Amino acid sequence: MTPEEREAAIARARAAREAREAGQPSAPAAERPARPERPAREAAAPRGPQPPPEGSIFDTFKRVLPDVEWVEAVQGVRDVILTIKREDVPRVMRAAKEHPDLALDFLRSLHGVDQQPEGFDVVYLLYSYRHHHGVEIKTRVPLDDPHVASVTPIWRGADWHERETRDMFGIIFDGHPNLKPLLLPEDLIDVHPLRKDYPLAEIEIVQGEGASQEEGGEEIE
Amino acid sequence: MTTAPTGEYADQEFETIDLNINMGPQHPSTHGVFRMVLTVDGELVKDVEPHIGYMHRGNEKLPENCDFRQIIGYVDRTDYLAQFNCEHAYVQAVEKLMNIQAPERAEWIRLILAELNRLTSHYMFMGAFGTDIGVFATPFTYAFREREVIQDLFEEISGDRLMYSYFRVGGLGWDVPENFKERVRQVVQHTWQGIKDIDGLLSKNEVFLARTRGIGMITQEQAINWGCTGPVLRATGLPIDIRKEEPYSFYDQVEFDVPVGEYGDVYDRYYVRLEEMRQSVRIIEQALEKMPDKGPILPERLPRLLRAPAGEVYGRVEAPRGEYGIYIYSKGGPKPWRFKVRAPCFSNLSALREMTIGHYVADAVIILGSIDIVLCAVDR
Repeated sequence: MTPEEREAAIARARAAREAREAGQPSAPAAERPARPERPAREAAAPRGPQPPPEGSIFDTFKRVLPDVEWVEAVQGVRDVILTIKREDVPRVMRAAKEHPDLALDFLRSLHGVDQQPEGFDVVYLLYSYRHHHGVEIKTRVPLDDPHVASVTPIWRGADWHERETRDMFGIIFDGHPNLKPLLLPEDLIDVHPLRKDYPLAEIEIVQGEGASQEEGGEEIE
Repeated sequence: MTTAPTGEYADQEFETIDLNINMGPQHPSTHGVFRMVLTVDGELVKDVEPHIGYMHRGNEKLPENCDFRQIIGYVDRTDYLAQFNCEHAYVQAVEKLMNIQAPERAEWIRLILAELNRLTSHYMFMGAFGTDIGVFATPFTYAFREREVIQDLFEEISGDRLMYSYFRVGGLGWDVPENFKERVRQVVQHTWQGIKDIDGLLSKNEVFLARTRGIGMITQEQAINWGCTGPVLRATGLPIDIRKEEPYSFYDQVEFDVPVGEYGDVYDRYYVRLEEMRQSVRIIEQALEKMPDKGPILPERLPRLLRAPAGEVYGRVEAPRGEYGIYIYSKGGPKPWRFKVRAPCFSNLSALREMTIGHYVADAVIILGSIDIVLCAVDR
């Protein structure tokens, strides 16, 4: 470097330092190296629940039951998840089993999910051996009036599932032939262990983040 | 209520009443703590009322306080004779929820272990069923001897004889020993002879046939209506198997048949299970050929704290007793909000009344044995 170039370099460095300390960019815009070109980002994939795709079992349901209000219809991770009102349960379930295009003759599981304070979800997992399609149907039952129609007349296998759900959550299935306790002792009718306000143990030690019960170590009678 | 007497009392009339017999929770033939209240007329069963819940342990509430990785221990203990199948259902559900793909070698090992577990479970059935029939010790000893050979292999792999907890979300806990393929081939070689032994001992035995043919029949429509799955459903003649209906893991890359029965009676359920053992061996032999010798058993980047997105999933497998499913509802976070186990024995057992009415008390024991229940799965 020649002495003049050295002088110029020192002056530039001093100006850059002063500009940085003042919060300004350290070199005028023309002298900054050009930012490398980045490819334009594609539109981000939509997040959140997606409606069921064309040709799925939801279309068959809409065709078979055109006047039912579908509270929600979502493509879940594996199955289509449909939410209906609890008044529609007998009608939808009967059509699901008896209509030849749906033929959902296998009730895989019937259980509850605690969604307090809005109530409980009753989940019906159905499958058809004839058409090899399945669906998950949910209905919301309010907390102060936890009644829903029983589907035991439609699928006999619902008998024990509904008894267990009543034991665990307190959901009453109207029309069930024998709603006695199944898993709990016969005299424990008003205890519902799977509700979230029922403690896990006498002294709950809740671990990890996102605790679903009260924060740890509290002694509960 | 009068029954018609014969012989020297033929011109007299007797009044009889139905008797309530309690086959209580402590009973050597009820396959665990299960209570049946039989209403009998003489020895003919008029009504059955099953009482379950003696083994209810809160297996659905406890995982709500557990990390997704910790729940493997709970899942094992639901169906304690088909543990790898249960673990498979659980890891399948969580992997689908979190969109994790297990590596190929891990999936093949899972498949082989699940089929070996089907063998141990069906051996246990052969042993216990023979005991129910009254043959008492011989098939039991044979079956358990064969089962020990497979359990030795499981102990070498997972360190445990019964509660393996070997599968992990994303793959396996650790890699199998180096001699895995030779050991499995040895076990399979040994098992062919074991299956032949049990077959020769029971299948064409006159007394066995007399006691099981035509007992406990259930029609196809009844079986589907009650939600029966597994060998109970296949014995009625329907070739329904989740490995063919909704193939998971690599079951669509192996060839096997689905054995079916004809009448839906107790003998058919036994025979379907025997044939399933042969098909399992076939699957294992093919899987050993296709399994890669080297490879990772966990995906490369698995987060340290598994957080599931909000959503729900139902993972199902063909366990030896039927369709075993795990339903997980997650609100985001490392713990599930709702954890539901769909046990095959629960639905199969609910059809007991249908199958037992009209048979004798001794047959009630055999029918219960043929459903092949595991009370831990029924009661959870």
